[in-house]
Amino acid sequence: MTENPTLSIMGLEDNIPDTQPGDADHDYFMQQALLMGEKALATGETPVGCVLVYDQKIVARGMNDTNKSMNGTRHAEFLAIEEVLQSYPRSILRSTDLYVTVEPCVMCASALRQYQIRSVYFGCGNERFGGTGSILSLHSDHTIDPPYPVYGGLFREEAIMLLRRFYIQENDKAPKPRPKKNRQLNTKVEYE
Amino acid sequence: MDVQDILRGIQPIPGDVTAVRTVQETRPPEEFADAYAAEVNLKCASKVIKALDKAYPRDASQPLNHLRRFAKHEHLSPTLQSTLLKADPSSTQTIFVLIPPPLPDVASLKDLLTPFAPPGSDITLTTLRVPLYAPLNSAQADKWTKSLWPVLFNPAAPRGFVAPPPQILTRARDSIQPKAGRYLALAYEVAREAEQSGLGRGVGAVVVDPEIDARLDDEIIDDDEGDDKRWSDAVVAVAGDARYSRLEGSTGPNPSRLMYNADVEGGPELHALMRVVDLIAGKRRADDHDDTSASPPLRPLEAHFLSQSDTTFSSTSNPTHQTTSTSTSTPETDPDTPTNPEKFQKTESGAIPVPSTSVPTPTSTSTTAPPETNPRIRSRTQGGYLCTDLDVYLTHEPCLCCSMGLLLSRFRAVIFPRGGRMRTGGLASEPCIGPVAVADSGEGGDNEGGEGEDKGDVGSGKEEGNENERLYYGLHWRKELNWRALGFEFVEAIAGADGNGESVQFHA
Repeated sequence: MTENPTLSIMGLEDNIPDTQPGDADHDYFMQQALLMGEKALATGETPVGCVLVYDQKIVARGMNDTNKSMNGTRHAEFLAIEEVLQSYPRSILRSTDLYVTVEPCVMCASALRQYQIRSVYFGCGNERFGGTGSILSLHSDHTIDPPYPVYGGLFREEAIMLLRRFYIQENDKAPKPRPKKNRQLNTKVEYE
Repeated sequence: MDVQDILRGIQPIPGDVTAVRTVQETRPPEEFADAYAAEVNLKCASKVIKALDKAYPRDASQPLNHLRRFAKHEHLSPTLQSTLLKADPSSTQTIFVLIPPPLPDVASLKDLLTPFAPPGSDITLTTLRVPLYAPLNSAQADKWTKSLWPVLFNPAAPRGFVAPPPQILTRARDSIQPKAGRYLALAYEVAREAEQSGLGRGVGAVVVDPEIDARLDDEIIDDDEGDDKRWSDAVVAVAGDARYSRLEGSTGPNPSRLMYNADVEGGPELHALMRVVDLIAGKRRADDHDDTSASPPLRPLEAHFLSQSDTTFSSTSNPTHQTTSTSTSTPETDPDTPTNPEKFQKTESGAIPVPSTSVPTPTSTSTTAPPETNPRIRSRTQGGYLCTDLDVYLTHEPCLCCSMGLLLSRFRAVIFPRGGRMRTGGLASEPCIGPVAVADSGEGGDNEGGEGEDKGDVGSGKEEGNENERLYYGLHWRKELNWRALGFEFVEAIAGADGNGESVQFHA
């Protein structure tokens, strides 16, 4: 760990911008997703977090779990959906929104379509695996399930910084850990 | 036992394994740029090349080796002949040289070429279009040669991320072909079990470790029937669909399978591919202490292969056989004598099978040399990682979610029957009908086997028209994605080989 995650969480909360009443809810939910990302970072997982929101309430939270589970499909979205299904019927997902720090990957974008999620809000785009606009557009492509709307860019910089803080770490599990002492955290985020 | 009966009863499905082309191949990018052509004295050709290469060094990042550097008059396309050949069309004293992009300054280029101009004339630069990327097949090369500038097709040229390297693809196909029909037959049994249980649709997945598979081939099996009995030893896990496992129990096939109602479909984490990935992950976590995971209950075939995976295959593959050998056979001829468990580990020391006990053991039984348990699915601490280097055989083309899931799991290869294509699938890259033959023409003898079948395999047209329209993602090998796998279709020799055999559309 190159940074104290607690400090960053504090930083985030100081950072709540003044917004319209309607937007405040979106901000709150995305910040909760970012907290899940922080939790993932603290446990050595790729820092992606999400929350599922039904009827203005968070009904499930998820974070990446691929390293611990040894299962490359255990993305934050899958964990959150698993949690919501423990207490609710599947059909509530049709009235549920997802807030996720990084654009859903191709796998998750398809899963969300199959689960007929109502809408998806994400932080930063995913240039390597993104399934809702970056590489494929599975939220809107022709298939047997209805499309869902996607809104990107909510707390984009914070989501990017989470990922950067993860990738700047030395990977002590690698056969030859690469020293990254001299690397500096780039705190500037360019606009698309 | 039931499972043993099922395994004994499995007959290989006849058919051929053929690579699923990549979307880069089925929808190749065609990018063009301007170039110059100039008529020069034929005798100066090699000097012209030297002068050009010295003045304008080639850019290694943009190889243009597919463009011929010279064209004789008769090699020019009809269009170029009409614009380039002015005075003396029958002249054999001159040849045309190509100056590829990036285009140099016209004046200095003319100065450079003037010494090589045809006798009695000046250098004239003519602008033309050339393809920037090498052709993917000879048909494309011919097309460009006839319309643009002479183009060469080199089947051995590196293709980057456009498609898997041909030698790797061919080697994998050749190793998969002999047993694919059998592994798929097992996948259908797993699917049948899933459907009969009422907990899922009739979709099955079988995961094979190709390294164990290759070593099985190398094993000398003394027993006449040994080969048959041990065919499933390279199978490390199987799983069927369980999408109805969260619903109220039903006995026999679940009536929900007769329609598509999203609310009762469970989710992709209950699809066969995702479940088999999770079973393997569970074995990888075998040494973890705080492992808590809940999954749908295992069905007999699933439980059988999962328990098999706890041990080396040679010591447990045939429990019944082992019992008889204990009393009757000698170590030299006993096929069940435990072989060195090291053999089945993926160590750097290689694949030399260590002959098992050549010295007779005192009691002459196979149980005196119990192997250490080296699981066929290695745990995290033994170096196991996700599903690296494994192959997965599926009864249906996996849905987009599972297609990406298998990439994220780092499978080496995925094999599904052409008859199991799905409208919701993520792997096919083109309709069965149509352009398949285009790429085959002129590629010489490097496509044996299944390719011949392809041409006669005309689709039913189901995939066309508004109702059943589908998209072709070819997700297994896309240059934009970080992970790639080899994708193969199994073309059944008998019937049903015309695409989607399911009457109900769902996500497999």
